[in-house]
This record gives sequence, C-alpha cells and structure tokens, in this order.
Amino acid sequence: MGLDIRVPLGLIFLFTGGMMSVYGLFTRNSAIYEKSMGVNLNLGWGLMMVAFGAVMFFFGRRQKWQDDPVSPRPWERGDGPRR
Amino acid sequence: MLVYFAFVLGIGFALKRYMRTSNDFFLAGRSIPAWVCGLAFISANLGAQEVIGMGASGAKYGIVTSHFYWIGAVPAMVFVGVFMMPFYYGSRARSVPEYLRMRFDEKTRAVNAFSFAIMTVFSSGISMYAMALLIQTLGLFHGIIPDAYIFHVSVLLSAVIVLGYIFLGGLTSAIYNEVLQFFLIVAGFGPLVWIGLRNVGGWEGIKRTLPVTMTRSWHGMEHASTNSLGVEWVGLVMGLGFVLSFGYWCTDFLVVQRAMAADSEESARRVPLIAAIPKMFFPFLVILPGLIAVTVTSHMAAPSAPAAERAPAVNAAHQALPEGPGRPHGLIPVKTDPRSGKPEFDSDGNPVYNYDLAIPVMLLHFFPSGILGLGLTALLASFMSGMAGNVTAFNTVWTYDIYQAYINKRGTDQHYLWMGRMATIGGIVLSIGAAYAVTSFNNIMDALQLVFSLVNAPLFATFLLGMFWKRTTGHGAFSGLIAGTGAALVHHGLTLPVGALPGLHGGWITVIHGYPSDMAQNFWTAIFAFSVNLIVTVLVSLVTRPRNEAELVGLVYSLTPKPVEEHLSWWQKPATLGIAVLVMLVALNLIFR
Repeated sequence: MGLDIRVPLGLIFLFTGGMMSVYGLFTRNSAIYEKSMGVNLNLGWGLMMVAFGAVMFFFGRRQKWQDDPVSPRPWERGDGPRR
Repeated sequence: MLVYFAFVLGIGFALKRYMRTSNDFFLAGRSIPAWVCGLAFISANLGAQEVIGMGASGAKYGIVTSHFYWIGAVPAMVFVGVFMMPFYYGSRARSVPEYLRMRFDEKTRAVNAFSFAIMTVFSSGISMYAMALLIQTLGLFHGIIPDAYIFHVSVLLSAVIVLGYIFLGGLTSAIYNEVLQFFLIVAGFGPLVWIGLRNVGGWEGIKRTLPVTMTRSWHGMEHASTNSLGVEWVGLVMGLGFVLSFGYWCTDFLVVQRAMAADSEESARRVPLIAAIPKMFFPFLVILPGLIAVTVTSHMAAPSAPAAERAPAVNAAHQALPEGPGRPHGLIPVKTDPRSGKPEFDSDGNPVYNYDLAIPVMLLHFFPSGILGLGLTALLASFMSGMAGNVTAFNTVWTYDIYQAYINKRGTDQHYLWMGRMATIGGIVLSIGAAYAVTSFNNIMDALQLVFSLVNAPLFATFLLGMFWKRTTGHGAFSGLIAGTGAALVHHGLTLPVGALPGLHGGWITVIHGYPSDMAQNFWTAIFAFSVNLIVTVLVSLVTRPRNEAELVGLVYSLTPKPVEEHLSWWQKPATLGIAVLVMLVALNLIFR
C-alpha cells in the first residue's frame, strides 16, 4: 500500500478544478450565471479546487519515503505498531 | 457537462485497481494514518441519511436538526475515542461482535452479529434506493435510458461501482474512497451554501424570514408542543444524545471499523476525535441548504422567476411553512412508480411535500452547468460512501463472526479472503433487495432512526456495563440484549405518533400512548430499550457466576492498565483533544441556542 491518499486526491481536484476553470473561462459573461447571481462559480471555485489539489498532490509526493522505495515502510517493519 | 461526473467515477475505478495488492481485506492492515481514518469515519456515516435526510429535516424543522450532530454525535464520538477505543483496539478483536465474544460469550456475539448484518444490509439498501430515486427524479439519465428503467439501472449501476472497488481493495479501498468522497462533498456543497447565503441575505436574512423555532436550536425545548421536532429536552438529550448516539457511535462496527484500521492505539483513539471536528461543522453544509431552500422563495418573488419554476419542491417547502411546526401526516406513501408525475395529496387534500428534494433542488437552482456537475457528483459520492461503509462492515462481520464462527471454523486465510469477497457480492445483492423493500416512509431518516432504535439502543447498555463493570456476565449481557430489543419492539407496538396509522409507524399491538411526532416516539423507544437492558443485565449478572478476573484483562476498564501516554506531549493526548472538541461544541450551541 505505497499509495498515499493525497496523490489521487490531489489529482481528482486538479482534474475537475481544471476542467471547471477552463469551462468558466470560456463562458465568462454567459447567461448561465444568472442562476448564481452573476458570480462565475466555475472559474472561481475551479481555481480554488486546483489550488487545493496542487497542495495535496505536492505534499503527497514530497513524503521522503516516496523517493526511497527500498527501505521498509513504517508499517512493514517487524510487527510494527500492532499490539 | 455532466459527462465529467462519470469521469470522476472513472478515476475512482483506476484507483481501486492500484490497491489490489492489499491482502488485508478486512482491517486494511491496521496501517492507515489517523487523519485518513478520521475522515473515513465521518464519511462512512455520511450516507443518504445525512445529506438528503438532514437537508430534508433542515427544511422541515429548521436548525434544530443540528442536534443530530451537536447532541447526537459529537459527545459520543469524544467518548468512544477517549474511553472505549483502547478496548476495541487493544483487545485485538477484529470486529465489534468479536469483542463481545471475548468479553462475554458466544451467544451474545451471535445476537449482535446477526442483527448488525441485517441492519447494514438495510442501510445500504436505503442508500441505494434513495440514490436511484433521486437520479430518476432529477432525470439525470434522461434520454440515454428509457424512463421506465432509470430506477433499476441506477440501483444496479451504483451496486456495481461499489462492488467493484470493495471487491478489489477491501477496506483500504473503501476508506480511501471515503476520503475522496469527503472532500468532494465539501467541495460540492461549500459553494452552494455560500451562494445560497448571499442570495437570502446571510444568516440574518434567514432569521428574518423564518419563524424563530426554525432558527434557534434550543428554542421551545421545554415542552414537546412548542418546538418543531415535537420532543421535549429530556427526550432529546436522553434519547438522542445519550442512548441513540452512544449506541451508534460507540458500538456500531460500521464506524468503529474505521478507527480499528488506524496504525496504532493512539491513532485509533484520535480517529473519532479528529472526525468530531469536521462533524461539528457539517450542519452548515447539509442543514443550512435545507433552511435556505425554505427561505429562498419566500424572499425573491420577482427576480430570477424562471429559475424558481424549475424548483417545485422549494415552492412546496415554502407553502408548508404556514402550517406551522406540525408535520404533515397520513401521507400516501410513495409506493410503486414513485414519479408518475401526479401530485400526491394527504387525507385532508393538502399536497404532500417531498422534503427529501431540498438539497438536490438547491443544486439545480443555484449552480450553472459546470459546477452543477460537481454538485451532483458530490451528492452521488455521499450515497456511495454510505453504501460502501455498510458493505465493508457487513462483509467483515459475516466472514469473521458468522461464517468463521458457525459455518467453517477451519478455513485457511485465503479461504476467508475469498469468503469476504463473496460476502461483498452477497451483501450487495441483499441490499438491492432491501432497496426495493424500503419505500413506505416519506422521510428517509425516520426509517433509519426506527431501525437504529430497535437494534442499537439496547446495545450501548451492554457495552457500558461490559467495559466498566467487571461483574457483568455473559448470561446477563445476553438476556439484557434480548430484553432490551424486546422492550423496544413492545414500546413501538404500544405507541403511535399523532396522526399516523397503526402499522409500521407503531401501535400494532394496541395504542396506549400517543407521541407528538415519530421522532419523539423513536427517542423514547430507545430510552426504554436502554433502561430495560441495563436493569435486566444487572439483575441477571448478580445471580450468575462472574468470569475469572484474569481472563478479562484488556477487556474491562478497571482491570486494564491505563494506556501509557508519557511519550506524548500534553497537546497530543486524546483527552486534551477531546476537551477541545467539547469546548467548541458548547460554543456552537450557545451561538445557535
């Protein structure tokens, strides 16, 4: 289980946030935003999601042991934390 | 634009395949960090009953609904983290029923295992049913699949997706998915609340529009007839806050399983506490939209009229207001073809309002295409996470506590792994059956509360005595459990909420007492079940022979060495975190009192 949850989490947010921002960029001043009181929710929230996704992705990748696949993970060492 | 919520599920699928190597199907290898488990802990519980039910209750009852979080969850979560988790985690039991066997005896475990297995199947069935109904109502697949089949296709589709990822990755995969779903839900509903509040003029705007019973959570709690829930504070605090919530959060394997997957005992204890923090703020995500939905149409008659036309249930919810806090009763249940398009009327000729649509309708009302896809994805994610939680709990209990205990005692580990996968399939098939069986309540949450109060309420007394009173015996626990559930059944059979017909709502023996609402009835059923269990367990324990104390080390509070915490600095200790959580809780209650 070498997969850090933050990596897929970051990816999902990067993807969906990115799609929303792009869509929001192309539909600026479009009539669809009358619903949301003139706020371009796609662009704004999409960018926020991209930011969140990037942070998550970054931290997920930065974990030191990610660069060091040889030494055992904390839970693989001996009986580890089970008691 | 809806294409991309299929896209998100696709990513989910790709993920699951990643994790197939995990052979620790049931406990995720006890290797998950606390914060991940914590998020999964609430997310597993965040099924249909939360998002749809809470939104519905928010629109129906108002901010009082937050009691389900602030009274009905957080204190119990703190308790389970600080006091009970050492026994679950430390005893090395693999499931809650297994703990019962270690503490008491085989028969107590059997009762718990079977009732729990049945309950999880029903809960996941309810999730599935609600989701399919929602997809059908919103017409998400309109034009792709013939309308008549949408319900069935949705049930099958959701079943297959959940089956896929649990089958492949077991609990790990379920937990990872729950974390993803948690963030999706926050991301999907966050902007909804923000834009909704902007629309109605903030919290002040809601307070101006709605009656005071709906915007203050403690208003009129002295007496059942002066608040919108129809419960007085004794019933609320004892029934919901003590019996039901402790029974659920402290004994339900569905949630405890998440904490047991943590990587150490300290982490396991921190899991419910970490979970309690976001839990406290969830009312703002799921109840507030309900309140806003009620406020919106009474507020903006002229502007954006076309949008309002797309929101029939919002209008409906608004019209329901003048009827006062009483709930519409004598409903024609939503049976057979639930969306024939004909409006339903109750016996007085008033239209029946579908509060369950409060949140979906809000999404359609405020979100332009694009983010609408995200919102709907969040909604579906919440259903999936609730379902998955039940299914993983079911397969573990089935395999360890029913199959291994009674059917095949000497299988290899590989065999049990295989059995777990089969149980996943079996559980989902049974859930589909349950999904078709669950249709007679208008408010999904009432149905779930009924199930919980019959099965869960007496349970907590057993655990409480088992963990903190070493004299408790197996016979005592067993007879207490049976008596408690029996008491719940009898109480349910003897009472009836005002205006309901005898039958599923109660009163099937004879009616000797009427409650102002079925909520009140549920709470009091739980209180009765708990008390009867407590009394019977104590009495029977006193006349039977207690177990040898040496056998109970690690299982009972007074015989277990206190967890060593010296290596933790004071802010890392579970108790500190617990106190911090409680302080925040009191503050919230004071703000919205």
